[in-house]
Amino acid sequence: MKRIILATLLLSLTIVLSACNSRPKLRLLNWGEYINDEVVEKFEAETGIDLIISVADSNELFYQKINSKTTAFDLVIPSDYMIEKMVKENMLIELDYSKLPNRGTVTYMDGVNQIFDSMTQTTLARSQKAVDYTDYAVPYFWGTFGIIYNNRVEGLEEALNEHGWDVYFEADTYFPTARRGMYDVPQFAYAAAMMYMGNNPNDYSATLLQEVETVIENADFVEWGDDTLKRNVESDNLDMAFVYTGDYLDRLYIQLDEGKTLAEVQADFDLYVPDTTMVFIDCMVIPNTATNIDGAHQFINFLLNPVNAALNAEVVGYAVAYQEAFDQIISYLDSADVTKHNWATANSIYYNMEAESTFYPLTTLHPDDIDAINTMVQNVITG
Amino acid sequence: MENQKATLKDYGYRDFTTLNKIYKILKKVFVVAIVLGLYISIIVIAIQSINESRNLSIFTRVSFQWYANILQEEELMQAIRNTFLVSAIATVLATFLGTFFAIGLYALSKKVRVLWMLLNNVPILNADIVTGFSLMLMFRLLMVVFPNIFGLFTLVMAHLFFTIPYVILSVMPKLKETDPNLMDAAMDLGVRPYKALIKVVIPAIKAGIFSGMLLALTMSIDDFAISYFTTGAGFDNLSIWIYAVIGRRNLTPSVYAFSTLLTIFTLVGLLTYQFLQKQKKGKKNEKNNFSDIAS
Amino acid sequence: MNKEFKVLAVPYKVWLSILVFIPILAMLFISFSNLSSSVSVGELTLSLAHFKLLWESSTIIAFRNSLIFAVATTLISFVLGYFIAYEIKLSKFKNKFILLTFVILPMWSNLILRTESLANIMSENNILKNILGFNLFGNISGTWMAVLFGLVFTYMPFMILSVYTALEKIDFALEEAALDLGLRPIKKFWKVVFPLSFKGVVTGAIMVFLPTLAGFAIPKILSRGRIVFIGNIIEQKFIYTNYNHGALLAVVILFFILGSILLITKFDKEGETLL
Repeated sequence: MKRIILATLLLSLTIVLSACNSRPKLRLLNWGEYINDEVVEKFEAETGIDLIISVADSNELFYQKINSKTTAFDLVIPSDYMIEKMVKENMLIELDYSKLPNRGTVTYMDGVNQIFDSMTQTTLARSQKAVDYTDYAVPYFWGTFGIIYNNRVEGLEEALNEHGWDVYFEADTYFPTARRGMYDVPQFAYAAAMMYMGNNPNDYSATLLQEVETVIENADFVEWGDDTLKRNVESDNLDMAFVYTGDYLDRLYIQLDEGKTLAEVQADFDLYVPDTTMVFIDCMVIPNTATNIDGAHQFINFLLNPVNAALNAEVVGYAVAYQEAFDQIISYLDSADVTKHNWATANSIYYNMEAESTFYPLTTLHPDDIDAINTMVQNVITG
Repeated sequence: MENQKATLKDYGYRDFTTLNKIYKILKKVFVVAIVLGLYISIIVIAIQSINESRNLSIFTRVSFQWYANILQEEELMQAIRNTFLVSAIATVLATFLGTFFAIGLYALSKKVRVLWMLLNNVPILNADIVTGFSLMLMFRLLMVVFPNIFGLFTLVMAHLFFTIPYVILSVMPKLKETDPNLMDAAMDLGVRPYKALIKVVIPAIKAGIFSGMLLALTMSIDDFAISYFTTGAGFDNLSIWIYAVIGRRNLTPSVYAFSTLLTIFTLVGLLTYQFLQKQKKGKKNEKNNFSDIAS
Repeated sequence: MNKEFKVLAVPYKVWLSILVFIPILAMLFISFSNLSSSVSVGELTLSLAHFKLLWESSTIIAFRNSLIFAVATTLISFVLGYFIAYEIKLSKFKNKFILLTFVILPMWSNLILRTESLANIMSENNILKNILGFNLFGNISGTWMAVLFGLVFTYMPFMILSVYTALEKIDFALEEAALDLGLRPIKKFWKVVFPLSFKGVVTGAIMVFLPTLAGFAIPKILSRGRIVFIGNIIEQKFIYTNYNHGALLAVVILFFILGSILLITKFDKEGETLL
């Protein structure tokens, strides 16, 4: 017994000590599997900085981690509405663009600029403050939301293309037997219903909330899930779900990797992006608890290189934020490499942002309103 | 059925034995069904781990690529290392400390002891997420003095918080079973109290210590909520990692491979242990229960 | 035991006092006050405002769901778990420790992985159907049956362990005496064995009941998000940093816990044989 204790203590001591080397560290708080390992290695080799990654699965948890100050994270990758909230609560430091020379070499995608504009507008309307969010944030990935649907259901594709949101929300009229699913994030459900009603998803009032409640009730959702939604549509256990476009591409890439053709996958399940839909953007920001601010800038600058951004996108199904990186991916359309060709095709179909569409990024609502939405959705679920 | 009932009344004894037989077979079926229920998810994970396809609903071909791939999954490997490190330290410390705390509590007067034993139950019974959040708040107070406390240290402390009670609860009944004269006899022979404790009492309660250790490990290795709130500085364990990944991305099937390996290694270890024990037996022929496995 | 060893308990007393008492007091305070990140110290007031959450229909239904499922899970685990524990006790296999480890081994695999794989095979098109050609569970994914199955087979090992520990202590001589007195095996079981093992049943019942009551992962995954437990609501409140509501619900759950601790002391005057 004593020997076991001694051995364990010695073992743990050596591990702890071995972790304490002298290389500078950069602490990144990220989504799970949201970075290419090759990017990490390349960054560490180029700069001599050790990248230490923590993971969490929601913006709210990011907020909590930063707010609790239990760890001095140097870099976080939250989404749009959480960046607004963090800026409002003075949790972020302004970026020093003199340390980001690569910024001059990339152009943000039009959609990305639209999101930043929209965030500024919202803040202006709400608190009469002019905030340029690019002062705090550099985009990492972005993407749209869409309705992933089961193409084995006869006529569903045509109906969606013709009637859009109505098919998803009006279970009485369209495909009463179709199995519908929704993300178990109450604000997503609220926003989707608002867009179906023709409203801005970021408006809130008690009367709107009641209307939304009826809409969600009528949709008759059989599942409130997360990653399970895409997998259930893929395996014919669900017919429609409102998801990140990246969710669909994730499953698409996997099927393509296994030798299916794009047409074959689309015949099983496909994605419909409504004319009016939600978009999101994940940005790199530096919280004011950061200790390695220089290192954080180095990392941002590293990813502002289109080559590195494209490399990162290889394993992540979301859209690159820089035109140069996007063009590089699209150029693989002529590539003989099947994987690269498929990747380019998928990007050109699902992230083709030139169509006449209205994109809404989510904004942070007042905590009381969020609470009311959460309770409303819980009430619908519990019936 | 009617017929059988009649004969049962007439020839009670003989029918009783056939009933017994049916009962025995039914019993076996039941045992198998329940064990299958306990293991069905483990079996499915094993199937997923040898499926060539990443699709979780279609089995294409047997393949061991996900096993070969484990070592290449850096984030996963790091999470596995962290999990083992925390669970090993927490289990050993909890077993060690818990045993001595239990002896200390046992030495208290009965009334006082009951009160402390009630408090001892709270960490076991409280909702994980509440415990986790409370601990985070408490550890944050320490940050004033030790700013970099969050990480391995707080994680081990948190795991100690909910594993020590299990050890104490397993050790306490065994302490009560020990002969109170044992200590006195040893001390009459001139052995100092603490030496007597280690030489006499500890061996007598070995079985309790061992089952406490087993429970501590079980609780520690799969904890999510408490670990989530009390970790820091990038020290994520496997549960935290799995939670984060399934939210937005796909789990690599290598996770299933690792899980299956863990189960298989433990099973093989147990069987080997059993085999070795059988070899050693022969002379010893006493009743084999908890107290034997610890020796 | 030598009174000298009392000092050994001192560190643990300090540890428990700090880490159990203070958080509970803090929770009580938070649930009765308007404390939040946007409220400064001067504006703190005590109020019962948060208590209206308890009358919200979703909260009531969530409590009801948690209670019903916790009771049902405990009863089923008791019947099945007792049976298995008894079989282990009767088994001719000498090394009981191996059998017990075998029972607890599934718990070493990650709970989320286990539950998700259960959810997979309970849906219409799944990997087992693909291999076997038929559906083992029918199509129960998303129903109460799926949740109940998941809860029972996740927490039953606790029941088996505690019942077995109680059974192990029973003296075989007693059983033989009962048989000598002419008791039939079934009667012997009810008159002698079961009463003696009842403490283990209570312990096991509590160890199954409480995690079921406060849990959130299993119901969420297996009901496909359609059956809400109180744990799900607490989780959501904490994630959206509404600590007042979260603390309030946690305090309510704590009442259940204190109730069950009292229950333990009723059956076991020293409250020391939870295991």
